[in-house]
Amino acid sequence: MLQLVQILGWSFLLCLIIGAVLGYFGIHVLKREVIFIDIAVAQVAAVGSIAAHLAFEVEEDTLLSYLFSLGCVLLIAGFYAIARRKIVQISIEAVIGISYAITAAAAMFLIGIAPGHAHAEEMLAGRLLWVTPQHIVLCLVVFTAVAFCLCIFRKPLSQISQNYEGAIAQGLKVVWWDFVFYTLLGVVITFAVRVTGVVTVFSFLIIPATISALFSTHWGLRMFIAWAAATLASLVGLLFAYFFDFSIGPAVALFLGVVLVIAALLAKYNGVIRQI
Amino acid sequence: MSEAVKLFSLQITLIAVVLILHTYIGLHIIRRTLIFSDLVLDQLAAFGALVGVGIYTKYAFSDSNVLAKVAALFKYASVGSYLLALVAVLFGSLLLALLKPKTRAIPREVVIGILYAMALVISLLLTDKLPDAEAYVTTTLSGSLLWVTWPLVTVTAVVYIVLLIFHYIFRDTFITLAENPQTLKNEKLWDFIFFTTQGIITVLIVPIAGVLLAYAFLMIPAATAAMFTKKWAKAVLIGWSIGFVACVLGLGSSYFFNFPYGPTLVLFLGLFFVCAMVVRSILSGRNLNSKGYK
Repeated sequence: MLQLVQILGWSFLLCLIIGAVLGYFGIHVLKREVIFIDIAVAQVAAVGSIAAHLAFEVEEDTLLSYLFSLGCVLLIAGFYAIARRKIVQISIEAVIGISYAITAAAAMFLIGIAPGHAHAEEMLAGRLLWVTPQHIVLCLVVFTAVAFCLCIFRKPLSQISQNYEGAIAQGLKVVWWDFVFYTLLGVVITFAVRVTGVVTVFSFLIIPATISALFSTHWGLRMFIAWAAATLASLVGLLFAYFFDFSIGPAVALFLGVVLVIAALLAKYNGVIRQI
Repeated sequence: MSEAVKLFSLQITLIAVVLILHTYIGLHIIRRTLIFSDLVLDQLAAFGALVGVGIYTKYAFSDSNVLAKVAALFKYASVGSYLLALVAVLFGSLLLALLKPKTRAIPREVVIGILYAMALVISLLLTDKLPDAEAYVTTTLSGSLLWVTWPLVTVTAVVYIVLLIFHYIFRDTFITLAENPQTLKNEKLWDFIFFTTQGIITVLIVPIAGVLLAYAFLMIPAATAAMFTKKWAKAVLIGWSIGFVACVLGLGSSYFFNFPYGPTLVLFLGLFFVCAMVVRSILSGRNLNSKGYK
């Protein structure tokens, strides 16, 4: 038992932290219909770290590599904020989806010119098992700072998420606030993806928020449901990966999916159960 | 030199055929915001092929002769592996057609995105148990347009033309599906047929072009065109022209500068898309809403 806690303890703690921040962001992401954002931003951050590697031969976990990634994230956040305002003929989700294709091609192009960088699979699956206390502290510091900003800016951000046109009509500087939103989300995704992989972060962002949308429209209640779902799925996923020898990140993502299916069935037959 | 010209003309022909259907299907996807649907099908096709690899590595060298022969059919990029990919894709189309959230708080794109995540997750969990699986993950991402042969082009072209004719005959139904789905009788059945078309072209194109280029073919020409017109025929024409020019430029520079072909093509398509966005926002700034857009 003690051994189990030693092996999985840090990973579980990290899942809780990531689940808490991404659960809140997920509700925004659903309201804005920018489902692709995680995968696109993770790809942009990867381009940054590959560029840093090519230009200065720095490894992935160094300060310079993080700075390059964050620089690219700032650029793309500005791009999305402006595109949302200027391009009305196609949805912002389409623009984000295409930006993913372009940045993924850029990454493969850079790797093709100078091979020998990170494997595709590791970037997809992550390395949640090798989480160290340093990762936890780093994520905790970064996520706390982001959560603090979110708390201060919650009003304009949720106003834009609820009703973009309404926010413009009220004179809100939507481009600026969108830039803030995508930057904060981008920072969280950049750090989270480095430890857990794209697909796990995507699942943490989208699935708990979807589960909460099945049961409530109230922000507070939705956050509580999302966090509960994320915690449950992390716990079961970690144990499943440990006992059956699977990668941790995808296993946790799988159980987030399982919790969603159960929740959806519950929501569907809720009326029936009540009648009984 | 003549070899290179031959290969070049082969690839250009293939791209010209493929782009028509891709642009049209892409317009549907853009208009209905089902951006993730292509990645779901791509990933499921890859999963099917991976299952084939699993069967092959587990049983191809077993003592039982029959079992070994059957397992040999599922080698990567063989007939069996295509069949498994097709089965996985059909299953995916069914899920895409059937799963539709009732509440407006959950956009349909969310369900599709989650399906993608789950398809990716099961592929990754499967690769945990396969030897050398990482190489296959990379192959399915990047494709092999350089191995294009005439028989492959013929098969692809014939299937594409059949699908094009089918979509031309039923164009009104599919356009209703995109614009007023409530008025359609068998909405889910038509949805299934739509996703099946997308699935079939996925299974055909991904082994040649790779996931990324296939996705770019589908999305970028259509999205570029959709910024400038709401008419379907006009949009297909604009999308095809832009896509074709970008692909020729991309292929050309990948030959001359020895760039990796797939990413180069996507980057050229992307360049055209970003330029189109800039043009669009300048035009919109001048005469806002004059084109009937809200």
